[in-house]
Amino acid sequence: MKITSPKVSRRSLLRGSAAAAAASLAHARQVSAQNAPEESAFEAWIDLRLTVNGQAHALTVEPRVTLLDALRERMQLTGTKKGCNRGECGACTVLMDGRRVNSCLVLAASAEGRKITTIEGLADGDTPHPVQRAFAEADAFQCGFCTSGQIMSAMACIEEGHTGSPEEIREWMSGNLCRCSAYPQITAAVAAAAEELG
Amino acid sequence: MNEPLPYPAAPVRHGSNSGQPMTRRDGRLKVTGAATYAADTHPEGLLHAALAVSSIARGRVSFLDVEAAKAHPGVVEVITPQNRPALAHDPDSKTLPFSFRMDALQNDRVRYAGQPIAVVVAETLEAATEGARLLAPRYEAEAARIGFGNGLPEPAPMVGVGAPGRAETGDLEAGFAAASQIVETGYETPAQYHNAMEPHAIVAAWDGDHLSIDMPNQAIAMSQASFAAFFGIPVQNVSLRSPFLGGGFGSKAILAGPQVLCILAARMLGRPVKLVLTRAQMYGPVGHRGATRQTLRLGTDAQGRLTALEHHAVSETSTFDDFIEPAANASLNLYASPAILARHDAMRMDTGTPGPMRAPGEASGSAALECAMDEAAQAAGLDPLTFRLINYAETDPISGKPYSAKELRACYMRGAESFGWAGRPLAPRQMRDENGLLTGWGMGSALFPAPMFQAEARAVLRADGSALVETSGADMGQGAWTALAQLAADGLGLDIDQVEFRSGSTDQPDGGIAGGSGHTATAGGALHAAGRDVVARLTELATADPESPLFGAGNSGVTARDGRLVRNDDESRSEAYADILARAGLEALEGTGRGARDPANAEARAMFSHGAVFAEVKVDPELGQIRVSRMVGAFAAGRIVNPRLARSQLYGGMIWGLSFALHEEAVHDLRSGRVMNADLAGYHVPVNADTPAMEALLIDEDDRFVNDLGIKGVGEIGITGSVGAIANAIWHATGVRVRRFPIRIEDVLGL
Amino acid sequence: MLFHRPETLENAIGIMQAGPVRPLAGGTDLYPGLRDGPPPAALIDLSRIAGLRGITREDGGWRIGATTTWTDIVRADLPALFDGLRAAAREVGSVQIQNAGTVAGNICNASPAADGVPALLTLDAEVSLAGPGGSRRLPLGDFITGVRRTALGEGEIVTALHVPDAPGGRGAFVKLGARRYLVISIAMVSAVVIPAQDGTIGEARIAVGACSAVARRLPGLEAALAGCAPEGIATVVAAADLSALTPIDDVRGSAGYRLDAVREILGRVIVAALGREG
Repeated sequence: MKITSPKVSRRSLLRGSAAAAAASLAHARQVSAQNAPEESAFEAWIDLRLTVNGQAHALTVEPRVTLLDALRERMQLTGTKKGCNRGECGACTVLMDGRRVNSCLVLAASAEGRKITTIEGLADGDTPHPVQRAFAEADAFQCGFCTSGQIMSAMACIEEGHTGSPEEIREWMSGNLCRCSAYPQITAAVAAAAEELG
Repeated sequence: MNEPLPYPAAPVRHGSNSGQPMTRRDGRLKVTGAATYAADTHPEGLLHAALAVSSIARGRVSFLDVEAAKAHPGVVEVITPQNRPALAHDPDSKTLPFSFRMDALQNDRVRYAGQPIAVVVAETLEAATEGARLLAPRYEAEAARIGFGNGLPEPAPMVGVGAPGRAETGDLEAGFAAASQIVETGYETPAQYHNAMEPHAIVAAWDGDHLSIDMPNQAIAMSQASFAAFFGIPVQNVSLRSPFLGGGFGSKAILAGPQVLCILAARMLGRPVKLVLTRAQMYGPVGHRGATRQTLRLGTDAQGRLTALEHHAVSETSTFDDFIEPAANASLNLYASPAILARHDAMRMDTGTPGPMRAPGEASGSAALECAMDEAAQAAGLDPLTFRLINYAETDPISGKPYSAKELRACYMRGAESFGWAGRPLAPRQMRDENGLLTGWGMGSALFPAPMFQAEARAVLRADGSALVETSGADMGQGAWTALAQLAADGLGLDIDQVEFRSGSTDQPDGGIAGGSGHTATAGGALHAAGRDVVARLTELATADPESPLFGAGNSGVTARDGRLVRNDDESRSEAYADILARAGLEALEGTGRGARDPANAEARAMFSHGAVFAEVKVDPELGQIRVSRMVGAFAAGRIVNPRLARSQLYGGMIWGLSFALHEEAVHDLRSGRVMNADLAGYHVPVNADTPAMEALLIDEDDRFVNDLGIKGVGEIGITGSVGAIANAIWHATGVRVRRFPIRIEDVLGL
Repeated sequence: MLFHRPETLENAIGIMQAGPVRPLAGGTDLYPGLRDGPPPAALIDLSRIAGLRGITREDGGWRIGATTTWTDIVRADLPALFDGLRAAAREVGSVQIQNAGTVAGNICNASPAADGVPALLTLDAEVSLAGPGGSRRLPLGDFITGVRRTALGEGEIVTALHVPDAPGGRGAFVKLGARRYLVISIAMVSAVVIPAQDGTIGEARIAVGACSAVARRLPGLEAALAGCAPEGIATVVAAADLSALTPIDDVRGSAGYRLDAVREILGRVIVAALGREG
């Protein structure tokens, strides 16, 4: 794996052993405000390259920034929603290397080198993905706030092959809460999309 | 039965749009992630705010480590009662419409756990969050008064939103004296939290004395006026956008302290500020469904007819404001009884003030009433459906007025038939499924008022024959953007694809509030009327123009259809809207409309949506694990504008009923007064696998009195009836009558 | 906050040695916790250490790498001995959690309601640790010492779990919760049964979770079940001494209910582990 080369020249306060330093990210305390937002002097910043929807994004963030907040607040990919920030609702579900995860439980720094797919990455130009279309046709949402997460979860659910029956879909789609309770329609949408995708 | 009132002379014709099961017009935006909710807004120079909230329920904040918070890199400002700038309106006053006393750092008092006690503003969300934590508040705590055992009882002269706390008809004691059987029972319902998937969020920006706000909002124009009052600026200086709400359920109809504080921070710092509540912070300042303790007495005669019905509710409210869950009023309008008494008391506790939450009063009250009816049927040895039919109200029991329309009997019949109710054994614990699980069937009646508020709308017919329609409505998931556009298109006599619909901001005429299941009727009525106003003006132009094929047809002599005016006396003579405008040399033609109830009808009629819900549950005989396996609801709610969306609303309501019956409960630590499960892990709502096979039947109902369009609402009725149906099914499966919600799995073992 | 992302175990141990640092694997327990308290001075992300993830055959048994996820368990081609662990893996939060959460994270977090622990106890799992003083290995029962307490020493990390072979053994697991998924358990029971030639129980291993500070094996019941015929299970379970369990009353369930429920589930799980339909 390629380790991002930190801008260490001005961030030299490395801690730990030589081995640790070599293997770690830029765990450096920023001592001058240069190259950071002008009014701030943060403790430590790291430079990341995240691959989201096939595109490389370079960003400089604090290590405590989650993938969810990096997507929403730094990359303006706001289709992914924050419902609880604790992994309890699934609204922030994205695919990481093809598997669904709660992006609120992944640090942006841990996502480096992984392939991230968000709701914005599904459509083919102006043509929605069949799963997106199935959700719209089945009225598988009301307020729409959990919908991105539901659809990303549905993508994985179909890929995993867990669509053999409505019961199986309900079970494997149970990591995504929908307070509007569009569950019957979500189940129908996943079934319809799975059939279309063969 | 009273003499029916005459029908309105000329029922309004519907166009070809309403009644169609169209998919959501905003569906594509929602499935692609392109729908922008408030927290998705990133204006230039944005700062992030984080709230610090109280961890005690009563006392005062004695210390906040402001220095530590300010020292954290990235923190820009810390706002506490010490430095909070003055507001032009007292947050403890109640003079604004539909307002509750709020906590906006007016002093150091703490009156509930989760109350905002400081705001930290920073360059990043992470810095603001850490800054808020670094405040490490200290308190002078006083003993929390939480729970019915520790609260402060008080009479409740008013309940809900301005309803009297006591209502009665007939001679109650005479009714009980005449009864051959009296069932006396009681039910408890817990505090519940709206928990819309979208936490409350606001982005505020000032430009001089003009304020721009992005926030999810169920009452746009009312909020605009309230914010103007708080900040001492003219109403027109407040621009509020709420294009998408990630769920509301009542909690986004009422302003709360955090929103005012965010706007204040933006003004203090001269930069836009975003504040998003954490999930835990949703359990404090933004309302909840107050807990209730209800007692009911039902007297019946030898034939099973109610002789007296008494319903008393004690409803939790806060120590500093009133929202008394009007639970007992659920008994006023559903079952015929010569004597009815509904009365309420309040129990003040150190919690945030409750507020309206999906079917406020109706949900909790229906839960108790429908279970009590089941108990009375059981005592009388009658099938629960038969018992309800015996007590079918032909006129509104409390007022004696005729109903505007009531197809409840059809709901009972169609629902029972679809469910397969016939042959249900009377006694409990008689049915098992193939896996040996105890199986039970229960039912409940559903009822919800059909209110209307006030709304205005504007329609502009454009030179090309298409139209723009506007009203500041709110789509929190009910499908307003679609249903309202359908009604607007009908008013205009246009296909919906010819109609551009704008809504969700203060740029539009006042669309009223999205609440009380009255939004479609009210805002839709305004839009339809605006469209008809345009058509009337267009008709005037055409029929007065000798060049028009419609010349001389007179106003009542044409029909608007598919973008043309057509002569009623000769359908071959018609003219396209665009041509009429062109000849008149008009670029556009504007009309306006209002939505409101006809006062005469409102006075003369009782107006409700009705329904019947049937549920099947399976219970593990040894473990008590409960699974709702089937639900069938049949609902009569006037004219259905969009059956696809209405069905989704009804499903959602029925699952809320399931959630009420089996899952939802905020549990308070009696010592600290904190909600112990202030998250989505401990506060259970159903997951997909908890939902049963479902059916929602829409029963035709032609209501000529409720409004010109015959529209009621479907947003809240689904929860009523459903709670009781499930609880009654659990009794039928197990023989155990659980009188406290939510029903826990161990409860049904009778431990 | 410092953030380390080593790719080798040696580097990881070097970092751990250099100063206080919180190990991070799947993050599904750590991140929610972070939001309730001060951030750690330093985090070390172990997820990139290649040798730490995956299930492999080793002499006399199986090695489950520390950062093996619950989904890895669900998808692995493992014998029936692991049926209980596989079922438990499906109960850890949601699929999203199972895709991130790791086996070692579950045991290090040491929650009384940790979904993976009862099944691992019945697999006689041992824990390998590596630290500045070298490596050591101890039984899982000795590793978890209390509520959120483990035997991890300064600078030590878990590198793997080891499950010995048990030919013919079959596992089973049941979690009782108030909601179908995303639920903190009311009670959990896991069992491994190794049948004797004659169809009776040769060896039974039973563990109960969420009913005591630490999930517990029930040696008394295990002994009583040895040699028991399928028809006799109910009687043995009914007579079992469950006094080792000390469930609490909370919003999820009363202590009395938990004990009753455990006894009921015990019967079902043991029958299932014997390969019979409950």
